[in-house]
Amino acid sequence: MKKEMKTPFKSPATVLGSEESFRLLVESLKDYAIVMLDPGGHVASWNAGAERFKGYRGEEIIGQHFSCFYPTESVQRGLPEQELNAAAKDGRFEDEGWRVRKDGKKFWANVIISALRDKDGTLRGFSKVTRDLTERKQAEEQIRQQSNEIMELSTPVMQVWQGVVVAPLIGSLDSNRTQQFMERLLNRIVETNSPVALVDITGVPTIDTQTAQHLIETISAVRLLGAQVVLTGVRPAIAQTLVHLGIDLSNIMTRASLSAGLQVALDILNLKVVRKNDSN
Amino acid sequence: MALESISVIKLKNLLLVTVPSDPDDETISALQEQVLEAMAQHEAKGLVLDISRVQTLDSFFARTVAETVQMVALMGGRTVLAGMRANVAVTATQLGLTVGNALSALDVDRALDLLNAAHSGVRHV
Amino acid sequence: MNEPQQGEFQITSENDIVMARKVVRDAATTLGFGITDVTRIVTAASELTRNIYHYAKCGVMYWRVLNQDTRVGLELTFKDSGPGIPDVERAMEPGFTTGKGLGMGLPGSKRLMNEMTIESTVGKGTTVVVRKWLKQ
Repeated sequence: MKKEMKTPFKSPATVLGSEESFRLLVESLKDYAIVMLDPGGHVASWNAGAERFKGYRGEEIIGQHFSCFYPTESVQRGLPEQELNAAAKDGRFEDEGWRVRKDGKKFWANVIISALRDKDGTLRGFSKVTRDLTERKQAEEQIRQQSNEIMELSTPVMQVWQGVVVAPLIGSLDSNRTQQFMERLLNRIVETNSPVALVDITGVPTIDTQTAQHLIETISAVRLLGAQVVLTGVRPAIAQTLVHLGIDLSNIMTRASLSAGLQVALDILNLKVVRKNDSN
Repeated sequence: MALESISVIKLKNLLLVTVPSDPDDETISALQEQVLEAMAQHEAKGLVLDISRVQTLDSFFARTVAETVQMVALMGGRTVLAGMRANVAVTATQLGLTVGNALSALDVDRALDLLNAAHSGVRHV
Repeated sequence: MNEPQQGEFQITSENDIVMARKVVRDAATTLGFGITDVTRIVTAASELTRNIYHYAKCGVMYWRVLNQDTRVGLELTFKDSGPGIPDVERAMEPGFTTGKGLGMGLPGSKRLMNEMTIESTVGKGTTVVVRKWLKQ
């Protein structure tokens, strides 16, 4: 670095004791882009991480306005200015979003902009610390897709006794999942000729109005076929939410546990479990 | 297309009608007529509508069935829809169709059991 | 692909309602829709064909395969020169009836399909277009 980095504010003392060592530390960090902006948002300093993430070398970017790192749509919406204003007002602003490299490629960034003030409180500029989270975001996307697939595969509708099928529901129900779930459940009911279906919602973490409506829709469809649904696994939290949401399940059989539901199924089918005689 | 003839079969004091797979509107209306005539003739206590072959349940069909159920009830009988197909049930629910006070059963055997049990006073859940 | 990619069907008699169902069933099945989606499409077609017969006495149904980069679908168009729908928005409300004890099956058909557009002019006629996309 040919230029000496001006330090208009007091830098914290480091173990190595000098501002020079601290400057070297910041400049050489590759995993974080640490950039200083003047109060107008123009780039005042650059480091190795910034060069790595954004592709510009120090000498070509210093003096440019930092909005060039943002996608065009964001610039049009005034996002860069909003972020500076927020940092100036609250001292700090954190965001995750798309940023653009010199070659035009986008990357997913976590950005913290801090307002830098001298001891009089005058705004001297901003620090901007950026992390590249593109890999993490892609990994998250992949996990989400895979867990969707796993959910589909791991919720088969099982016949547990003649006349009884069990359908465990895991996660929430959107329109798509409802259609798939309904088709799977109804087909199994017809295939196995089962008049009772236990729909277990132990694996549904929270219930919202949409999921509840979809459940009710599913239960209507099962009734049209000539079978009945017992909703099982209704935990206290779910029971509370359903009542608070004003959802009327009064004409649907519900139980707190799957085993209680099974008992209801046996009653409906006029069956009873009897212990074998010991004298056998 | 010629009117498909619907046969109404008497099973003791119950009636059984097997609905064809894709009946036209005229056939569906004729079904209602024939059912009511048979109800009168045999003083039946119940009607089983076997819809296990039916591929499409649209609003006209559903409305006619709902009306028929009401009319049969007025004549002293209960109606059971038997054997609805899974894809038909999914679509009918999505379309928001109801079939009035008709009961449903997975197949004709269960439908007959249902009507007989109700009639003999056995409690049926 | 040698199967026809489009077709036309005149609606002039009550019998045409069930015939239209068969035409649509063939087209949807050939295109590869699963049985439940076929049922949805056929049921929507039944509702919309019946509308033409009851309100306009005659009209035409067009069907065609939609081939796009990322997806494939079936489009059905129902066109008549009948009395038209004075208030399309109200007709789309569930529970709307025209006093003959008949609803128009429009909100239901919309639920069964992926897209629906309605154009109607009182005294001139109505065109309803519905589309269903194949799940990949």
